[in-house]
Amino acid sequence: MKILKKRWFQIVAAVVLVLIATIATYFDASLYQKPIVTIDQVAQQSKTKGTDEYKNTDYQVVQKVYGHFSNTSKKGQSVTITNSYAQSQLLDERYKAHQQVFVSKTSANHYIIQSTKRDAVLVFAVGLVIILLFCMKFTRGRLLSSVLLNLVVFFGFVQALIKLRTGDLVTLTVITAILIAAIALLVILGPTKDFVMAFASAFVATTVALLFSIWLLQLSGNSGIHFEMVDFGLQPYFGVFISQVIFSVLGVILDETMDISSSLIEMKQEVADVSKSTLFKSGMAIGRELVGPLINILLFIVIAENLNVVMLYLMNGNSIGYTLDMTLSLGVTQLLISAIGIVLTVPVTSFIVSQMVREKVA
Amino acid sequence: MLYLLITFIILLLVVTGQRGLSLLLGLGINGFAIVALLILIADGFNVLITTAIISVVILVVAIYMNVENSVTANISFKTSLVITALILLITIPILYWSSTQGMGVEDQEELEGFSLAAGVSFPQLAIATIIVNSLGVISETCVAITSGLNEIVMNKPTLDQKAVFADGFSVGNKILATQTNTLLFNFFATTFPLFFLMNSLHYNWQDIVNDKLFASEVITFVVCTIGVILTVPITAWQVSRVDRKKLAIADKRE
Repeated sequence: MKILKKRWFQIVAAVVLVLIATIATYFDASLYQKPIVTIDQVAQQSKTKGTDEYKNTDYQVVQKVYGHFSNTSKKGQSVTITNSYAQSQLLDERYKAHQQVFVSKTSANHYIIQSTKRDAVLVFAVGLVIILLFCMKFTRGRLLSSVLLNLVVFFGFVQALIKLRTGDLVTLTVITAILIAAIALLVILGPTKDFVMAFASAFVATTVALLFSIWLLQLSGNSGIHFEMVDFGLQPYFGVFISQVIFSVLGVILDETMDISSSLIEMKQEVADVSKSTLFKSGMAIGRELVGPLINILLFIVIAENLNVVMLYLMNGNSIGYTLDMTLSLGVTQLLISAIGIVLTVPVTSFIVSQMVREKVA
Repeated sequence: MLYLLITFIILLLVVTGQRGLSLLLGLGINGFAIVALLILIADGFNVLITTAIISVVILVVAIYMNVENSVTANISFKTSLVITALILLITIPILYWSSTQGMGVEDQEELEGFSLAAGVSFPQLAIATIIVNSLGVISETCVAITSGLNEIVMNKPTLDQKAVFADGFSVGNKILATQTNTLLFNFFATTFPLFFLMNSLHYNWQDIVNDKLFASEVITFVVCTIGVILTVPITAWQVSRVDRKKLAIADKRE
């Protein structure tokens, strides 16, 4: 009974804390220097149908936004702002009552909306995860500490990147990747020999896959890949691309090495006189089952990232072929390099673990 | 890119043998399904309905072509449908509140020369994006937890519902940790160019936490993680209801 009561108390406490944090962030306008307006009411003023050169029909809507200032010396004063948006809302937005927006002054008593205040919804979303974790019997401490540690390392990476400019990007990424891989494996496996084996396998497989893929890309003179389409056209294109590949594939490869190595270690414990080649073969058999789902995970993540830009190309009168070539060639290349890494991890991990487990006995 | 593709196919066939062919077929169908989704949306079909239909197709392919045990496959499929529906229910209000559809001011340079009033509902496309993003993670988590739990239930057929739930969480712990890593590292991959750009635009931390693109990446990460978390109790519930005899038969057939 006591344990049950404690659990309920924890859940209720988590819910209350998240609600308080969300509400506090919603009303934190006084922390900001920029003027913030809370919207009380909106009214649609006009809606005009427009057709662009590609025969897409869209509506341009003008709305009157009534609200009051939530900070600065004008706090409490009401204000009326006119906002115009396209119904498809690619860059502009339809504003709704109770939203909060940053505004800037264009002339006396005339304001325009700059952007939406989104801090409260982020706090709420992250809070939702925390509540769910408290509702269930997960070991929260480990999970949250590993996420936090990784965020700290990533923060350091971004800071270093900003200081050193992007010249040393790939070196920085490799160091960061080694750090977060070590953290992730240490948190799940602990400082054991299993950790050394999984880490060595992940490191070898990723390195081989990357170097081999880069060599193949150079062999074909990077033809057919639009590296200039990398996010925000950030320079150096190739360095940014490779860094994104490393981060993106790392989690999946770690998952894979842990699965294979832990099964093989368990096998070794149960059957002490199992031979190296049997272990290697079982590793391959386990890995075979993992390859498909893991490639699938990255396939959908990579494609989802590009849906907006693909749709924009398609709606602007481009053919499917041209659209996919321009928008997805980078994504597909990323996916292929990752897939080669995922496949290579199976024999590499099986080999390393089957050899190392053997040595421990001898 | 062609060299990469050929290398991938050869390696896949060498490592996985005959399985490789069905894996390639599955990947091909899923890629094709996504292209179909894009064309249908561009042709003006309702974004949410189209996404729902294509998601079901993708889940069928991702689960039934990868899993041989029929009981595991059935449970995983049902669970992943429920999870996808739940994700949809969570995503819609969060995105309504956050307005993170479309692109950000940071993308503006890229958009020069495009007609921006293109007639597609980008708020709806934002929902579709999160669903597509989660499909791979959800199907893999469902399969992993279901097969792990089924094995336990097979070995200890006398387990009651409560014990199955407890085992579900012990299996789920490790999977939750690894899937969170996968999602988190992908968050890193997409956001580091953004952070770099924000720095050269002299954003302060207040600008960052309210930025559209940053918020959209955080929400994607959070919603997918919620999907993974919810998979554990729903799978445990499904496994505890399933007929043990059926499981034994399916296992023997394998």
